[in-house]
Order: sequence, then structure tokens, then C-alpha cells
Amino acid sequence: MSEAVLASERRTTLVPERFLRLLPGIALLFALGLLGKLTEQVLRDYGKAHHLALPNIEYVLWAILFGLLIANTIGVPRIFKPGIATYEFWLKSGIVLLGARFLLGDVLKLGGVSLALVAIELVAAIAIMVVLGRAFRLKPKLTSLLAIGSSVCGVSAIIAGQGAIGADDDDATFAIAAILALGAFGLFAYPYLGHLLGLSDHAFGLWAGLAVDNTAEATAAGAIYSEAAGKIAVLTKTTRNATIGFVVLGFAIYWAARGQAQRVERKAAFLWQKFPKFVLGFLLVSTLATVGVFTSAELTSLGNLSRWAFLLTFAGVGLRTDLRELKRQGLRPFLVGAIAELTVTVVTLFLVLGADRLFTL
Amino acid sequence: MSSPSPTPGTNPAPEAPPRRPRLSLDFWAVLTSLALAALVWGGLVRRVPW
Repeated sequence: MSEAVLASERRTTLVPERFLRLLPGIALLFALGLLGKLTEQVLRDYGKAHHLALPNIEYVLWAILFGLLIANTIGVPRIFKPGIATYEFWLKSGIVLLGARFLLGDVLKLGGVSLALVAIELVAAIAIMVVLGRAFRLKPKLTSLLAIGSSVCGVSAIIAGQGAIGADDDDATFAIAAILALGAFGLFAYPYLGHLLGLSDHAFGLWAGLAVDNTAEATAAGAIYSEAAGKIAVLTKTTRNATIGFVVLGFAIYWAARGQAQRVERKAAFLWQKFPKFVLGFLLVSTLATVGVFTSAELTSLGNLSRWAFLLTFAGVGLRTDLRELKRQGLRPFLVGAIAELTVTVVTLFLVLGADRLFTL
Repeated sequence: MSSPSPTPGTNPAPEAPPRRPRLSLDFWAVLTSLALAALVWGGLVRRVPW
């Protein structure tokens, strides 16, 4: 057998088809992200050159807008879909690498404040959703899924919750569509409101991390406001994500007690299984940075790597938000979600303003 | 690759073969991040631009 044939055989076995299928979508994420960065730069330079006071719009918003535009007009061709779905991988990698920009002491301090606020937010969000679900006569399990999604961390919490409480696929699809649509709306609304209220970067980051449901949208909302706000939003949201196991376990026990879901026998194993492990990666990188493993130039590089990962995430957020999906799902549960979100938004805003005074964030 | 569908009546309750649990997205994200951090730390990646 000639070497060329051997080499080509090796290629087909070594480079799995699954990996190759990701490439077009990842290239599209890169292209949209870079286009966003380019647009930000061009507008800034144009404003400077012509002495115009153009609004400084972050690349984050451009990348998301371009993605939204493509997904909701011409649509995303099938060849790009597997690669676009990697946005969650980039999000998690970005968060782990962001650990390099945090000293462990700050993580623990901010994490402590966040955890206290998250606990209040969880109770408020679940209570509001349950009351509204009853008032609007939604199916009880759909209400549970919406409560899990709006209290903890959007899509992954809903998927974890669906299995644990034995809810229908339809309910999960709807809850996910509602959470994503509300997240997309929040992306634009929160930074606008934040500027209107004159929130500090810290206060805004805390608010976005507490109130925006999906991690990618919370990260983006923070980054649209400012880089410092983005960092705090990620940390707060990550703290909130870490509670996913407890909330899902609570709902699983509730439904099992009513004989409508499987009993959870090994609770500690359940909690560990649902725990978002990337949080551990974030803590590890933060610990390495704190003990001085990296030089300051290396820390800058790691921070930049994190930015690149987020760039791909933000392009993905726009591309996977299909506003037409919402129309197909009907209005009532969406309305419940929207009212609940609005209430959570106000409650968390007061929490953040209170914490801002108490802890001088 | 799809397997040929069973003839009706001959294989009424095919049991799914036990699947190896797939490594989670979190695992890959952490592994990739740590690998990148190692490349930077080891000097193989000197400066990441932004």
C-alpha cells in the first residue's frame, strides 16, 4: 500500500467526521464575532475622525445583532448548526479562563455576597412563578420547569429539571423557548435600564448575574455594560449556577412525594451529578493565578483567550435565538414567564441597591 | 451509520447495548482551558492579542 493511501486512510480515521462537521459553524461564529469587533472599531474611528458623538456600542451587541438578523431573516443553513451549538463550550471555556482575572480572595468575597443574594433571589423567583402558574392555570410541571429556569440558570437547569421531575418534552421545549426569548429581550433592556439608573459596574454586574436567566445572556448583558460589569456578572451567575443541584433536587423530591416522579435515592450523588463542573475549573485557574503561577503578561494573555471564547459565544447567542419559535409556542406561558421575570427584575434590583450600600461593592 | 431495521415479529424487544457514558461538555471545557493555560505558561503561546 502506498504512503499516500496510508496517509489518507489515517486522516479519515484520525479526524472524526463529527469534528469536521463543527468547522463551518465555528467559522461562522468567528466571522460574526470579528465583524462585530470591526464594526465597533470602524464606528469609533469614524466618530473620532469626523468629531461626531456616536454612541459607543460594544462589539458584543453587534455580534449578537448580526446573529439575530441572520437567524431571523434568511435563517441558518443546516451545515452551520452543529458548529453554532458549540457556543456553550466556548462560554464555559471563557468562564474557566476568566478565573485568571480574579484573585481567589475576591472570588470568595464576591461569591459570598452573591450567594446570599442568590438565596433570596431563588426563593422570590420560585414563589412568584408558582403563584403566577396557578393564577394562569398552567400545567403544574410546566410551572415547575419555568420556576427552575427562571430561578437558576435557564436552559441547562430546565434540561436537568425535566429528567428529574419527569416532565413532557413539550413543556421543556416551551420553557426553554420562553427563557431564551426573555433572555434576548433582557440583553437589550438591562444595560439600557442600568445606564438610566446610573448603576455602578459592580452593581450592574451583580444585577445582570442575578436577574438574567441564561448564562450566555447574563455574560453578554454584563459585557455590553462594561468589561468590569461583565466580570462580576459572570461570577454572580456562576454562583447561581452552582445551586442548580439543590433546586432541581427540591423539585424532584416534591414531585416524587406526589408519586409523579422517580424517587432520588442517593441525594449526594444527585447533587454532584448536577453540579456544573466548570465552576471547579474556574476556581482552579483563579487559585493558580492567586498563588502567582502566571506572570502578569501571561495573565493578560489568558484574559484575552477568555475574550476570544466569549466572542464566539456572543455570536452564537444571536444565531440560535429564533424569535419565530416563540410564536409557535403560544402566548400564555410566555406571558407568565414575562410577568415573573419583570417581578424578579425589580426584586433583584432592590437587592443589589441594598447590597451596594451595605457592602460598598 | 444506521443499522438495518429488524424484521417485524423476529425481534420484539431489542435491548439497547450499554453505552459508554460520554464525557460532559464541562469536562472538555475545563480540559481545553487548562491546556491553553499550560501553553501560555510554558511559553509556547507568548502573547494572545485582542
